[in-house]
Amino acid sequence: MPIQTAEPIIQMRHVDKHYGQLHVLQDINLEVQKGEVVVLIGPSGSGKSTLCRTINRLETIDSGEILFEGKPLPQEGKELAALRAEIGMVFQSFNLFAHKTILDNVTMGPVEVLHRNRKEAEAEAMELLARVGVEAQAHKVPAQLSGGQQQRVAIARSLAMHPKAMLFDEPTSALDPEMINEVLDVMVELAQEGMTMVVVTHEMNFARRVSNRVVFMADGQIVEQNTPDEFFDHPQSARAKDFLDSIKGH
Amino acid sequence: MGVAEVFTTFGDVYLKSVLSTWLMTAVCFAGGLALGILATVLRVSPIKPLRVAGDVYVQLFRNIPTVSLLVIFVYALPYLGATLSYRTCLLCCVILVVSSFASENFMSGINAIGVGQIEAARAIGLSFVQIIRLIVIPQSLRTTVLPMTNLLIATLLTTAMGSQVPLTPPELTGMVNYVNSRSVAGISAFVVSAICYAGTSVVLGFLGNKLDEKVRILR
Amino acid sequence: MSANVSMRDALYEAPGPKTQRLVRIGTAISVVLLVAFVAFVLRQFYVNDQLNPKYWSFFLRWTTWRFLLRGFLGTIKVAITAGIIAMALGLLLMLGRISPNRALSAICHVVTDLFRSLPSLLLIYFFFLVIPKYGLRMPAFWMITVPVALAASGVLAEVFRAGVNAVPKGQVEAAMALGMTHGKITRKIVLPQALKIVIPSLVSQLVVVVKDTTVAYVVSYPDLMQNARVLISNYDALVSMYFVVALLYIAVNYATNQFSIYLAHRSDTPVISRVDENPV
Repeated sequence: MPIQTAEPIIQMRHVDKHYGQLHVLQDINLEVQKGEVVVLIGPSGSGKSTLCRTINRLETIDSGEILFEGKPLPQEGKELAALRAEIGMVFQSFNLFAHKTILDNVTMGPVEVLHRNRKEAEAEAMELLARVGVEAQAHKVPAQLSGGQQQRVAIARSLAMHPKAMLFDEPTSALDPEMINEVLDVMVELAQEGMTMVVVTHEMNFARRVSNRVVFMADGQIVEQNTPDEFFDHPQSARAKDFLDSIKGH
Repeated sequence: MGVAEVFTTFGDVYLKSVLSTWLMTAVCFAGGLALGILATVLRVSPIKPLRVAGDVYVQLFRNIPTVSLLVIFVYALPYLGATLSYRTCLLCCVILVVSSFASENFMSGINAIGVGQIEAARAIGLSFVQIIRLIVIPQSLRTTVLPMTNLLIATLLTTAMGSQVPLTPPELTGMVNYVNSRSVAGISAFVVSAICYAGTSVVLGFLGNKLDEKVRILR
Repeated sequence: MSANVSMRDALYEAPGPKTQRLVRIGTAISVVLLVAFVAFVLRQFYVNDQLNPKYWSFFLRWTTWRFLLRGFLGTIKVAITAGIIAMALGLLLMLGRISPNRALSAICHVVTDLFRSLPSLLLIYFFFLVIPKYGLRMPAFWMITVPVALAASGVLAEVFRAGVNAVPKGQVEAAMALGMTHGKITRKIVLPQALKIVIPSLVSQLVVVVKDTTVAYVVSYPDLMQNARVLISNYDALVSMYFVVALLYIAVNYATNQFSIYLAHRSDTPVISRVDENPV
């Protein structure tokens, strides 16, 4: 377990957000320690994806505050871009740049944002691609790869920025079943290396095996959070019990 | 009078006519693209009045018949204190019309990128200007090659409006009138002009397809 | 959530306080510029005496509108007739092109591409200037309708072909498995589905046809533009009339386009080949 006394790397305090009438985030309070793997689960529409996306301000919030390394999120401009460069993000739909090769997808951040030398960036990108097992595809374009391969490239693209934390927004939900594990394996490895991760997922096995903490959300609220064993074996709330019952057999 | 005689009698006028048609097509297409880019910038800007102005501009000029615009330029503008040469009137009209379609093409090119790639670019820390330069412009240019080729051919056909005003030399459609009023070779003139239009379209279409094959983005 | 955000909005993220201030300043400046532009145009009208009521008051008379409306009915008559001919011809060209007969297919391909690559004005000149020299004089209505229809038929053949290509391959395979012939498959399986797919595109092509009819004055056919020219000489009011007529055309074409988008939206089919539109 990570050391609980240090200052949390991500802090959310009394965060609220509305989409019109819909109250998607209601008084969210959440802390993530350095090196911790936090899994967000809950029924669809519970606000877990929105919560994940507020951490690098892809979604704005109405009130409350979000701190990264003790500092409030910048609201715009260079400061915001610099913060985002420190937080990796992996999307459900991969979102690789369609007009760039796999290699260029991975080097774009280091070259354009971190102003690294292209040669060095490419060498490191090749190492990262090898690590996620797609180095043979480096000179293809995204559409030529399978979903699982694309998602692994997306992870490599994030890693190339040497992020201090990574956000995963349902990274396996758009994948065919046989490709889910190749992506999860990469994520497990990252977790074991001590990467700070916030993961929105429906993969309960991953949550149970890898996470330090499970956060259960419903209707825009954090209903309960606990260690994976406690949560899955002894859920406290009725909502969580219903949810776990409904996904049994999956 | 056959096609051969048309060439011996009207050959040099025809040559000038073809060149003038090509030149006008090139000028109108380039001007249309430039104005189309400007209109597109307005339409995607975060400033509401500019967006509305861009939308209105495009709707006006993509829905107005070119003749209707041409008569305004040629006959109405002099009453409003602006007298332009016939050729300038024609070029302005075609450019305005082409620019509205060019902007529509650019907009669908931008729409094809998808929100996800923009968010991914943002998430790795690219600035707004970088996103426009590295993602939006290259992708929208590369996805609009075929529509823009069609627009280029349409521009060529639209310059036929030049036959409605006196031009020296006449462009290809005006040539039919020019030849017809001076000899009995009307049908030959029609055939020659038709071949020039069709030949140019075939070549432009071929080049457009080749370019598209080269730069097309797999999705 | 982000899926239903338009790309237009997605290019800019929710603005921070500095950006909000910049947007406010930009909005103010652009409003000033736009108002200045409109004011300049109005001023040009005013200083050239074009706002004088004598140029506009006759638009209050019913006779003016009746005459314009009659011209507009002429436009509609030509557009609808040309549209129907173009649809029939376009359908035939497409059917010829997809037929297993190589020679027929090649001929239809060439004819389709030829009609697509000629300006409608050139075709109008053919029927107006060239054909009469051989002793064949058609009524003005057909001298404008036939060339407009021919020009549109090439584009429509391509629209139909796109529709046929959009019918899922499995449909044809299933019909073949039942032992149906090529002709029967086309008639019973492919065409009904393809036609449904292309309806919005057919409507949007009507805009091109309406635009093409505006040169009907070349053959002295009384359409909207031609009747406007008559009114101009009657009232000596050129500027106001040409602007009003332009707005009428824009309104009609805009409405047609919106209707086509509505149809596409309702049937959940994209408007195909809008890019083929010839803006003449």
